[in-house]
Amino acid sequence: MNAQQKQYGVQSDKSQRGGCLFHRYLWVGLAMLTLMVVIFVWLLMRMLTDHSMRLTTDEGINITPEQIQSIRDIGQWEFLAVSDEELVDTVRRGFFKNDRLSRIYYGTVRIGVDLTKVREGWLTVQGDTVVAVLPPVGLLDDRFIDEARTRSFHESGRWTASDREALYEKARRQMLRHALTPANLRSAESQADEQFRKLLQAMGFKIVEVRFEK
Amino acid sequence: MTIKMKNCSYTFCSFLLLCLLSAAGCGRSSKEDVKQIDTVPMLVMQIQQCSRLYTTEYRVHKIVTHDDVVRLRGRMFSADYDLPLPVGERKVAIPMTATLKAYIDFSGFSAEQVSRQDGRITVTLPDPRVVMTDSKIDQEGIREYVALMRSHFSDRELSSYEQQGREAILQSIPDLGIIEAARLSAARLLIPIIAQMGYDEQNIVITFRRDFKTDDIRKLLDQTTIER
Repeated sequence: MNAQQKQYGVQSDKSQRGGCLFHRYLWVGLAMLTLMVVIFVWLLMRMLTDHSMRLTTDEGINITPEQIQSIRDIGQWEFLAVSDEELVDTVRRGFFKNDRLSRIYYGTVRIGVDLTKVREGWLTVQGDTVVAVLPPVGLLDDRFIDEARTRSFHESGRWTASDREALYEKARRQMLRHALTPANLRSAESQADEQFRKLLQAMGFKIVEVRFEK
Repeated sequence: MTIKMKNCSYTFCSFLLLCLLSAAGCGRSSKEDVKQIDTVPMLVMQIQQCSRLYTTEYRVHKIVTHDDVVRLRGRMFSADYDLPLPVGERKVAIPMTATLKAYIDFSGFSAEQVSRQDGRITVTLPDPRVVMTDSKIDQEGIREYVALMRSHFSDRELSSYEQQGREAILQSIPDLGIIEAARLSAARLLIPIIAQMGYDEQNIVITFRRDFKTDDIRKLLDQTTIER
């Protein structure tokens, strides 16, 4: 009887142990499955969220060569530089609305003496005295606007090449009016006098006289 | 009572007079304060005294071109994609000319840079520098090709391409040989002047500090030319 009970006891222990093991494997399997599902969902979400879409256009210019059109010797001595920027605009009246184009132009008006315009014998030397007769100070170059630096400020409507050309001319006139003032010309002349005096004294002349042609 | 009333009326009259005077005074002062303002929209003007001898002028021509294709760019399933869209192309060609000038800055010139010995004169000049003095867009020469489904180039876009073209010209300066030309031109200009001072042309030597490398030439670009 006892032996039979013992046998039953052993069998029930074995079945209990087997059930525990089965449960343990079940839980481990379930945990691994859950982990795999989580990883799969995470990867799927990442793939779905890691996307972007945008319409783009190229902003840069193509590489093209620069060609030298001309090289020339000049002898322009600059004594006053007036850097200027002008906001210039134009308006076209319409039936329903007005069109407007505003641009900011940059330029440097250079005032000085053109040494290619000096007369024969403009520099005379007598002992330690030198006399320099310079041409009148004035605008050194008609072209002084850096148009490629121009900034577009406002544009409404369509504008043609001739409209832009007219704006350029307007900016040019304004810059000249502001820069070529009698005060600036006087300032350039006094600077020319001072600089030429300094230069000729550095060359070893004790007495320097600088005059300007009328 | 009457004295009190009189005092009150005096006080009132003097207050009224004070008000009138102050009002008149204010009116006059406001008239004086009004100054004529130049309404021309001049943004900034900078005046600089200098002493620069421009010796060489280069005129450089460039046609700036730009091709504008609409592209669909993005990222999907961890992979980048870049597809041109068949909505049409835009192209623009902008002809432009720039003037580059090389100059010798004489503002720091002194007797130390001149040496005389036995009828021979040697003048050491400062490094030549380069500046872009003007640039001109050939507005009539601009050519645009715009597909039906695309918008025209705006003024802002055109200005942006022109500025990039200007930068490209500035970048090309070291390859143009302008510094060497400026040195030769300075010598050609100054030797006759010094000869008029009584020196024999054979005895006049114009020297410069050193030879330049490409990187040095970039440093000699005038700072006013560089966009800030």
